[in-house]
Amino acid sequence: MTFLEYIRIAAQPLAEGLLITFQVSAVCLVIGLLIGFPAALVRVYGPKWLKWLVTGFIEVLRGTPVLVQLFLIYYGLPQFGITLSAFTSAYIALGMNSGAYQAEYIRGAIQAISSGQMMAARSIGMTRFQAIRHIIIPQAVRFAIPAWSNEAVAMVKITSIVYLIAVPEMLYVAKILLSKYYNPFQTYITVGVIYLAVIGVMTLLLNFVERKLAIPGFETSKRGA
Amino acid sequence: MASGKNVIVKVEDLHKAYGSEEVLRGISMEVTEGEVVVLVGPSGTGKSTLLRCINQLTMPDAGRVWVNNVELTDPSTDIDKARQHIGMVFQSFNLFNHLNALDNVSLGLIHVLGMDKKTARDKALMELDRVGLKNKAENYPGQLSGGQKQRVAIARSLAMEPIVMLFDEPTSALDPELIGEVLVVMKDLAVEGMTMICVTHEIGFARDVSKRIVFMEHGDIIEEGTPAKMLTNPDLPRTKQFLGKISELH
Repeated sequence: MTFLEYIRIAAQPLAEGLLITFQVSAVCLVIGLLIGFPAALVRVYGPKWLKWLVTGFIEVLRGTPVLVQLFLIYYGLPQFGITLSAFTSAYIALGMNSGAYQAEYIRGAIQAISSGQMMAARSIGMTRFQAIRHIIIPQAVRFAIPAWSNEAVAMVKITSIVYLIAVPEMLYVAKILLSKYYNPFQTYITVGVIYLAVIGVMTLLLNFVERKLAIPGFETSKRGA
Repeated sequence: MASGKNVIVKVEDLHKAYGSEEVLRGISMEVTEGEVVVLVGPSGTGKSTLLRCINQLTMPDAGRVWVNNVELTDPSTDIDKARQHIGMVFQSFNLFNHLNALDNVSLGLIHVLGMDKKTARDKALMELDRVGLKNKAENYPGQLSGGQKQRVAIARSLAMEPIVMLFDEPTSALDPELIGEVLVVMKDLAVEGMTMICVTHEIGFARDVSKRIVFMEHGDIIEEGTPAKMLTNPDLPRTKQFLGKISELH
């Protein structure tokens, strides 16, 4: 069987796997954002006790391998009578892990905003909440895009580990294919090229969004003014 | 001080320290309606801290502050509401970077005063016109010169219809040729009767516009008086020395 013939056979199952890869990535990124954004706000503006709690949560998740977290949820929780599907386990583990990283990116973005912005907002009578909502968040989102793009790209690649708990994403499909045809080189090369193409397109898209949202006349070097 | 005029700002025995560094050591002062007071003194003597303690952007350690007979240092005072009508202009402009000039001015009208968007827009355009920048309404801060930024910042404060304006070294970050346009706006305001407290070393402005110069050093008011007296014949040699030096420079 030539490489081309193999591709013809493998295309359909790999495409199905890729869709699952997209699905897991997207869900986990959204969960991560839903965790990361409030966590970042708490770390900058929250009361001390909550700040400590969130910081602890973030450091535990960043300080342990995501695979350990995944296995704890998928294999560990059933010991306590909590059995979750492979998909649910993947969403929770990768979503929370991403949340910890996103929280740090967004916190960095918030802290890059000059303190004068908050002061000016308060000086015209805005409450702290209004200032965060109308002044801090719109700017923080823009500052966070480059780091967030890295997180999105990393997520697409890191979802490949969920093949270990039999989520049928692209790498899992590849594993089945090569056990049938015994051609690991062709299979992994194909998978690698697909990842590369997907991430290339994502990078272009995210750069486009970054340019679209850029503030006219405002370069990062001018941030302080 | 002119008698019979309403006291707009009253500060009583204000203290503030950062760690062991005492920045304000019991400042007391009163500013009456329509009065323009200029605060001068070496850097690090608490002039900016004093301004920020007046609108409570910095919390004083001790002492009391009243603006328009409302005690801001009273914990039961709604400080956000009080700040709506205390304008503040910063050395570094602090325009909202993600908003154009018009939105910088109208944001507070919409979200703080609850104006509808159309009315807020019209009012914002009027305020921009007042500082000579109606034609820059759509420009973002990054597309404005320093002098233009500061004028937008002044318009942003004026739109809230303040009863007093606090200026914190409004021209110190500007190129020399841009200082004039900001001073013109400030002078117009003074002529219209705005109550103003200005931290500035623009001695020309102090001489021509202010009613009183307050000289501060090491967190204390050393001497105060009319510009005529302070600039020509102050009581203390230290005042004479300092004001003489900055007069040479400006």
